[in-house]
Amino acid sequence: MGLWEAFLNWLRSLFFKQEMELSLIGLQNAGKTSLVNVIATGGYSEDMIPTVGFNMRKVTKGNVTIKLWDLGGQPRFRSMWERYCRAVSAIVYVVDAADYDNLPVSRSELHDLLSKPSLNGIPLLVLGNKIDKPEALSKEDLMEQMGLKSITDREVCCYMISCKNSTNIDTVIDWLVKHSKSKS
Amino acid sequence: MAQPLVKKDDDRDDEAEYSPFLGIEKGAVLQEARVFNDPQLDPRRCSQVITKLLYLLNQGETFTKIEATEVFFAVTKLFQSRDIGLRRMVYLMIKELSPSADEVIIVTSSLMKDMTSKTDMYRANAIRVLCRITDGTLLTQIERYLKQAIVDKNPVVASAALVSGIHLLETTPEIVKRWSNEVQEAVQSRAALVQFHALALLHQIRQNDRLAVSKLVTSLTRGTVRSPLAQCLLIRYTTQVIREAATTQTGDRPFYDFLESCLRHKAEMVIFEAARAITELNGVTNRELTPAITVLQLFLSSSKPVLRFAAVRTLNKVAMTHPMAVTNCNIDMESLISDQNRSIATLAITTLLKTGNESSVDRLMKQITNFMSDIADEFKIVVVEAIRSLCLKFPLKYRSLMNFLSNILREEGGFEYKKAIVDSIVILIRDIPDAKENGLLHLCEFIEDCEFTYLSTQILHFLGTEGPKTSDPSKYIRYIYNRVHLENATVRAAAVSTLAKFGAMVDALKPRVFVLLRRCLYDGDDEASLFFINLLLMYKSKFSIVRDRATLYLNTVGSDGEVIETDKVVKDFLFGSLDIPLANIETSLKNYEPAEQPFDINSVPKEVKTQPLAEKKAPGKKPAGLGAPPSGPPSTVDAYEKLLSSIPEFSDFGKLFKSSAPVELTEAETEYAVNVVKHIFDRHVVFQYNCTNTIPEQLLENVTVIVDASEAEEFAEVASKPLRSLPYDSPGQIFGAFEKPEGVPAVGKFSNMLRFIVKEVDPTTGDVEDDGVEDEYQLEDLEVVAADYVMKVGVSNFRNAWESIGPDFERVDEYGLGPRESLAEAVSAVISLLGMQPCEGTEVVANNSRSHTCLLSGVFIGNVKVLVRLQFGIDGPKEVAMKLAVRSEDDNVSDMIHEIVASG
Repeated sequence: MGLWEAFLNWLRSLFFKQEMELSLIGLQNAGKTSLVNVIATGGYSEDMIPTVGFNMRKVTKGNVTIKLWDLGGQPRFRSMWERYCRAVSAIVYVVDAADYDNLPVSRSELHDLLSKPSLNGIPLLVLGNKIDKPEALSKEDLMEQMGLKSITDREVCCYMISCKNSTNIDTVIDWLVKHSKSKS
Repeated sequence: MAQPLVKKDDDRDDEAEYSPFLGIEKGAVLQEARVFNDPQLDPRRCSQVITKLLYLLNQGETFTKIEATEVFFAVTKLFQSRDIGLRRMVYLMIKELSPSADEVIIVTSSLMKDMTSKTDMYRANAIRVLCRITDGTLLTQIERYLKQAIVDKNPVVASAALVSGIHLLETTPEIVKRWSNEVQEAVQSRAALVQFHALALLHQIRQNDRLAVSKLVTSLTRGTVRSPLAQCLLIRYTTQVIREAATTQTGDRPFYDFLESCLRHKAEMVIFEAARAITELNGVTNRELTPAITVLQLFLSSSKPVLRFAAVRTLNKVAMTHPMAVTNCNIDMESLISDQNRSIATLAITTLLKTGNESSVDRLMKQITNFMSDIADEFKIVVVEAIRSLCLKFPLKYRSLMNFLSNILREEGGFEYKKAIVDSIVILIRDIPDAKENGLLHLCEFIEDCEFTYLSTQILHFLGTEGPKTSDPSKYIRYIYNRVHLENATVRAAAVSTLAKFGAMVDALKPRVFVLLRRCLYDGDDEASLFFINLLLMYKSKFSIVRDRATLYLNTVGSDGEVIETDKVVKDFLFGSLDIPLANIETSLKNYEPAEQPFDINSVPKEVKTQPLAEKKAPGKKPAGLGAPPSGPPSTVDAYEKLLSSIPEFSDFGKLFKSSAPVELTEAETEYAVNVVKHIFDRHVVFQYNCTNTIPEQLLENVTVIVDASEAEEFAEVASKPLRSLPYDSPGQIFGAFEKPEGVPAVGKFSNMLRFIVKEVDPTTGDVEDDGVEDEYQLEDLEVVAADYVMKVGVSNFRNAWESIGPDFERVDEYGLGPRESLAEAVSAVISLLGMQPCEGTEVVANNSRSHTCLLSGVFIGNVKVLVRLQFGIDGPKEVAMKLAVRSEDDNVSDMIHEIVASG
């Protein structure tokens, strides 16, 4: 990308809104809908009902409009994740870092999904949620347990967050915004 | 790439007249549906594509599972758009195209969000879609919102919730019933539509609770219903309450005042509904009828065709029961004969026919002739039926009416229409002796040029019975013999058999008929000529070796010329009726292999299988004129017989007389489902217990039924056949056999106990534990009743059968049946008590009639033919009296039938 082109991109971004599309997946009770709420409004509620199907949210951050497909995490919806991940700018995979029992399931669901040819090359952001809990894993342990090292065919990033305390949410938004630019 | 297609459609739009979507193709539209996945959505474009998809679905195009799933998920992506129009299309699309319950659930969350949205349109439509795709567990989650929606300020939302409630009531009634309070509130709504839907739902919730419905009606009739539609519903519910109350109450009819006040309502639909409700009241009096007839009369001269039609149709019905009440409207109706709308005109004229007096008949007939050619067949049938009843009412007028019938018989018309005319003529010939010769000649002329084989054969048969009794039978011979030359094989055969009847009955014609029959021998068709040979044989020798008519049509005698003869001598072959259902003969003949041994007609089961319910409910009006023999679906009697004869213990019991329908011995959905079939033999009774084990975790072994026959003294247990093992969900049979006195219809009550050894099974692996526990399971009692010894065997012509049995063993007696709910109920009770076959449709009791005659036939154990004529009468306080006349071939059997009734 030449200097001139980069300048033009910058100029465009000043005048035109950018759009990006994300799909938000992960096992049930990982905190996906909470994350959407935190990103969109900053609010957090302990009392959430399970998502039956999906929620569609549009969030504007700076000059980027983010379309969020927040999908249900119960087993019966997992087969449908792939349909909503096709052609998105990035896949956000939320893991409950304090729920050891379900980590293996979470890991295999993630790897199953990434093996689908239709999702080749789509960047992946893994978020270890609920680090406000004392028993939560560290980032290194989580990456190890989720087998993220073995994923080499795409950009992979991992952050540890807490929706409850809004820890690291800014970092996540920055990462997302950055990826919307690189896509366009 | 799909762009040009859309343009093409737009072009078409300009040409108008045709649908803008005419000729679109599924493949192309599915391609277009990819726009749903575009990152930048174009709502207008998407709406258009959905419209096309809906259009395709509407035109009967089907999507494969994969296509439907693809489109469905693409459509769900459109939830990102906030365009109201597009969202509406999305709702529609989801409703039309739910690929499967598993996948459609994905939209639940989005719909729940819309259901609580601020946009009324979202709320209303989301409710409708959600209720369509939801199941019981989800429903409890959204129930709270639905309840709110019912009382929503916006009428569209409230209606959507109420209508969804009506749909949901079918699948999850227990949840919807909890909404009563909200629904009741909605009934008071100011919005007409909401009130209408709320009333409908409220009634459906309470429909099984008479008292609640009655309370509902009582409170609403005091006048809080504004919506005309709701008012119409209320009138219907009111008549229902009146109907149910009438059986218990006497004196003034409740709610009549309400109905009468509705006759002065603003809305025409309410007035009409009330008028119709009044005319349909049970045992309505003239005083009650008058105001209703008055408003209907006003409608007759309305400028709206729909009102005229409604009014004249209702008056037509009233005319059947209360012809005098309608005479006031005659002048108005006569002007309707020239109404542009032919349906109105037809109804007007048939009503006039019903109410008119003898002097107006000729004038009316002239008017009918003028417009007969203008109306459709179905209305012509109505007219024909009206004329038939008119003719029966005024027998003196038969000449002009018969002429009319014969004239229209010559005109063009479909089968049903022609059949109605022929039926009418046949009935007139039967009931009006003077009309016989004239009518028969009309029928003869008709078959000269009749394109319907069925009608030709029926008429030929009728000619055969009636023709020889006329003063000059010879004049019919020519018509009949012409058939032998000019028709297809079926008609030829019928004609020959008719000729033979003339020959047999009229001595003077015998030689001539014989010559004619000889000529028939050269018929080219194997079946027909074979039939002729047999007829000739029979005709020559007075005692006849006869091949049955039925075998002629059904079997495959074919080219090898095998003559299959019944070894039974049927003396009354020509005029007697076959006492075996045709369907049974057909099955037997199909199983019969030629050449081995002669076909034995006695081996054909005689039982008429109970016909499927649907068929029974079909209009009770059997073709009364040309009685058709009863026929049933292929029977299971054979199957039972095979099963029983395969069991050595029962092999010497002889021929199976009758098998009952299965009787349930357990409640539905219990651990073990057991029903029993009673097989009746001459000297034995075999109970076949069909058992099903419905517990996956159990295997039953050594299953027996312990039968206690202490309340059935005449029976002695002779054998039983237990079941070795009864695994889950695979039915097994246990048998128990009892001896009883021969030929005696012994009755008794048996109590049953299922005894077995239970073994635990692991349902996942199928492993059975070795140790079992002995257990017992109480079954319900089983009764052998007198009706078990009577077989339902129909006769085609009851009167002939009745006369041929003769009065030798006739027993007549009268019985009081005490207070009964209705005449129909009493009739069906006696029929089921006797277990005999109702003949000629006499099991149907006309509404409001005070008396009824029912004809039954059957075969009693020991192969004794029994015919029963029941005459019922009902008087004021529902007291039913019955006269029972029995004719049979055996003295004892006649008495036995009386005993059954006396003890029943």
